[in-house]
Amino acid sequence: MSTVMSGRSRRAKAPDDLDPDIRAVAPQSPLRRLFRETGTWILVLDVFLVLLFGALSDNFVFWSQTNVQALMINGTEALLLALGLAMLLGAGAFDLSVGSNLVLSSVLGALTIKGIAGPPDADGNYHNLGVAILLGAVVCIGTGVVYGIVNGILIAYFDINSLIATLGTMGIGTGAALVITQGGDVTSVPSQLQSEFGLASLWGFLPYPALVAIVAAVVLWWLLRYTRYGIRTLALGSERTSAERAGIRVKRHLVSLAAIAGGLAGLAGFVDISRYGSTAVAGHVQDPLVAITAVVIGGTLIEGGKVSIVGVIWGTVLAIVLQTGLIILGFQSFYQLIAIGVVLIVAVGLDRYRVRRRGDR
Amino acid sequence: MTEGTENAAATTPSPPAAAATAGAAADGHFETAIAGRHIAKRFGHVQALTDANVTVRAGEVVALFGDNGAGKSTFLKTLIGMIKPDAGEFVVADRPVSFSSIRDAQDAGVECVHQDLALAPDLSVVDNMFLGNEMRHRGVLGRLGVVNRREMTERADAALRELSIKLPSLKVDISALSGGQKQALAVARAVMWGHTAVLMDEPTAALGARQSAIVCDLMRTVAERGLGVLVVSHDLPRVLKVADRVTILWRGVTALEAPAADLTVPDVVATMVGYGRDNAA
Repeated sequence: MSTVMSGRSRRAKAPDDLDPDIRAVAPQSPLRRLFRETGTWILVLDVFLVLLFGALSDNFVFWSQTNVQALMINGTEALLLALGLAMLLGAGAFDLSVGSNLVLSSVLGALTIKGIAGPPDADGNYHNLGVAILLGAVVCIGTGVVYGIVNGILIAYFDINSLIATLGTMGIGTGAALVITQGGDVTSVPSQLQSEFGLASLWGFLPYPALVAIVAAVVLWWLLRYTRYGIRTLALGSERTSAERAGIRVKRHLVSLAAIAGGLAGLAGFVDISRYGSTAVAGHVQDPLVAITAVVIGGTLIEGGKVSIVGVIWGTVLAIVLQTGLIILGFQSFYQLIAIGVVLIVAVGLDRYRVRRRGDR
Repeated sequence: MTEGTENAAATTPSPPAAAATAGAAADGHFETAIAGRHIAKRFGHVQALTDANVTVRAGEVVALFGDNGAGKSTFLKTLIGMIKPDAGEFVVADRPVSFSSIRDAQDAGVECVHQDLALAPDLSVVDNMFLGNEMRHRGVLGRLGVVNRREMTERADAALRELSIKLPSLKVDISALSGGQKQALAVARAVMWGHTAVLMDEPTAALGARQSAIVCDLMRTVAERGLGVLVVSHDLPRVLKVADRVTILWRGVTALEAPAADLTVPDVVATMVGYGRDNAA
């Protein structure tokens, strides 16, 4: 049985019934496997930061229900963007344009809602408000999907590197949004959108937008784990030529993934107008930074082939907790950008170090 | 540990699922599994193939030999639809065919074990075996694209067992397997889906002596099930021993088609390097 011993392996005492030919080692315990996941460590860090910021904040306001709800609403848009990005990264493609997609979608959605709802009457009520909001949501998501499809076609069919393609569409999207609004924002969207959805909560606790993001996360998790679509997505990111040779229509698949990422960005755009009652054209420049950080620190591989949806959630929480925590502690909001940038680099650096030591890749 | 040897513990006979996969070959009676005739292909200034011919009959292992640059890989790629030739005809299962993609070849029951194996390292053994052919649940779940992993696992297990391939687990990622295990898996996958012919590009190039022998045994096993096997290889002694017939390419032309029993390694080498042809031409 000495053939099983492999130098410095700690689990070298293999049971005797093992076939020496295949040299299998006993599977790891579930707990051990859990802590091999990067996402689990991020969750530990999340808990630590929440405890830390809570303890340091005046009157423990960080732990207050208001703040927790604010965290969740803040996290919603970031999570939606990060989820779409994670799907694309799983297949080995980047998307830097998620922020401008959000902005363009929100502008078109807001204009739709205002256009259909018309001016309010004396009591502040609108005609056709329901239809207006419904169509607004459709326009937001639709714009996002079309935006994504354009990205996907550039990446898959024109074979443009995804970083370059989406960097280009990022400029185009933001520019188009600014042209449409003449450099300003679309304001005074019916306030009912805020009171009924954007700032409303289920059972007075769980904000509706956060619920939407959680549903999206569950659906994607399910998709990756149990469906043909998920297997093919990861195969594509794992080894593109293998996927092609297995007869998978790789280009079409990439476009569909980009469409999903785009649709989620459009949905985030709808959440944006429902939160603020207006668009925030200038407010989403750092969105790609936050989204990429959330995805990458959660254990999704940049090279593709592995996506951790749970990790994306914990990564988003980390980014949002850092942002809000620093503000509550009285730092200027600019510091959060530095903090997130540092987290991104440290996380990827640590991951590389670990991979080198393990010699997996 | 129970999970660790789920396919190594080969105590029960193969379930019917495996027989169904294998049965496809026995049902369709054909004489010629795959053949390419007078294939020509030019890339820019390079005439890769001028008049390449090969015929693989059902139940037969044919070795395709040739020096580097003789056009073996190009020829193989035309046979599976990856490259469209400029001229020539193909026959699969006695019928003339023209493939425009790998998918077409797969639909005709022609599978290929590529030299780089074409596996996805981050996917499990089962998912790799079924990549592109995933089995779905019945009913609504299936229409949503939900895969039936349990059945896939059973079938993969049966297919691997049938070829006497041992793997530590079907759930591990491919990246955790050894080179020989990956090679065996790639062969098993091709056999599982191919019901007419299995083509192999340098299947023993990355393997040790013992594992090469196993792969050569696999070729015979596959041929005995009524499929045609075409092997491109540099491993002349070993493949010559296992093959029924030999086709030798020389500068894009089929220089020799002969029964393997009539040839020795020096004969093959002489033809491969065009001995006696340079002067004659």
